[in-house]
Amino acid sequence: MTEALFGSVNYMAEKRSLDACVERQRALASNIANLETPGFRRMDVPAQFRSQLSEAVRRQDVSSMNTLRPNAVIDSSAPARTPDGNSVNLTDELVAMQDNGLEHSLHIQMISGRMSRLRAAISGRMS
Amino acid sequence: MTPITNSFSSNLAAAWARPAMGKTAGTASSVAGDTSVAAPGSRFGDMLSEMVQKTDASQKTSAATTGAMLSGQNVPLHQVMIASEEASISFQLMLEVRNKLLDGYQELMRMQV
Amino acid sequence: MNLIPGANSASQGLRAEQVRLEVISQNIANARTTKTADGGPYQRQSVRFKAALGDAMAAQSSSSAKNEPTLEIVRDPRPAVRVYQPGHPDSDKEGFVAYPAINIHEEMADLISANRSYEANIAVMRNGRALAQQALSIGKR
Repeated sequence: MTEALFGSVNYMAEKRSLDACVERQRALASNIANLETPGFRRMDVPAQFRSQLSEAVRRQDVSSMNTLRPNAVIDSSAPARTPDGNSVNLTDELVAMQDNGLEHSLHIQMISGRMSRLRAAISGRMS
Repeated sequence: MTPITNSFSSNLAAAWARPAMGKTAGTASSVAGDTSVAAPGSRFGDMLSEMVQKTDASQKTSAATTGAMLSGQNVPLHQVMIASEEASISFQLMLEVRNKLLDGYQELMRMQV
Repeated sequence: MNLIPGANSASQGLRAEQVRLEVISQNIANARTTKTADGGPYQRQSVRFKAALGDAMAAQSSSSAKNEPTLEIVRDPRPAVRVYQPGHPDSDKEGFVAYPAINIHEEMADLISANRSYEANIAVMRNGRALAQQALSIGKR
């Protein structure tokens, strides 16, 4: 029963994306706090995660969706900003944080919307 | 969402149709793609108990996640909220099925024999 | 409880910047202090952020404990600035007064930078809280 309700690949993808948004917020927070720490390399959720997720959705692959977990790692493509190796740029981090907030909002709305549609289907009433 | 309600109403219809058909119940397997020839009502009974178990499982998951968060473990808030909502919806579904079954039974009882 | 994502990092950052701001204000306030409790002119202080942990790759890869900034307060070893002021009560026998080696412009630049970091950490807190509030509204009817 619950598979029919909550087992769809799209729904699981939404939940994973939400996990990724929260993980990304943690990484960005750490980056900003360590703006002046010598040798600190900025961290982020890797771009492959997004492509792996959309690939799993395209293939309707539930099993790989289960194992896919977003994790923040060191962003190796970020150039060093100071001689000591710190690669954090405040503007970039703040812009990324705004972006992330909107994406988080999107996924919450998608998930919330599905919940209310399910309730409407079950009870036969819209609210 | 409509697929869910369709299969439920058709399953309910199948469950109530079988006893009325009597001994021919086992052979009338054309409802909702049902290919198993089981004893009348037992497949529906299995489905019900499975649903109760699944609902119970999701309630337990939700309680465990919430408990973990309250005891200070590193569970993200959104996972707790989502688990709690999923449990609530499963429960609501189970409740509605029970209500519909009850209504159907009462309807049957009111029938003039 | 882990309700606001990034709250830990942000509060550490705020604390660090707060210390930095206090040190800077103390420097500015004592820019002309020629005699302190231990005799000489005020010695400028500065903050130094501790470097990312030696095994930085491993430490940063562990997702549970993000690197948190720590700093230490150090005394600036710059020698005092000697100004010829024979009438000054703290002048030495040659008529020179030792002033702290504090450059107001340098301190102001540092202050602006610390302020910017402080506000960035506040923004992180604010954003994190918005995320948490959105999460609380899942399934709200």
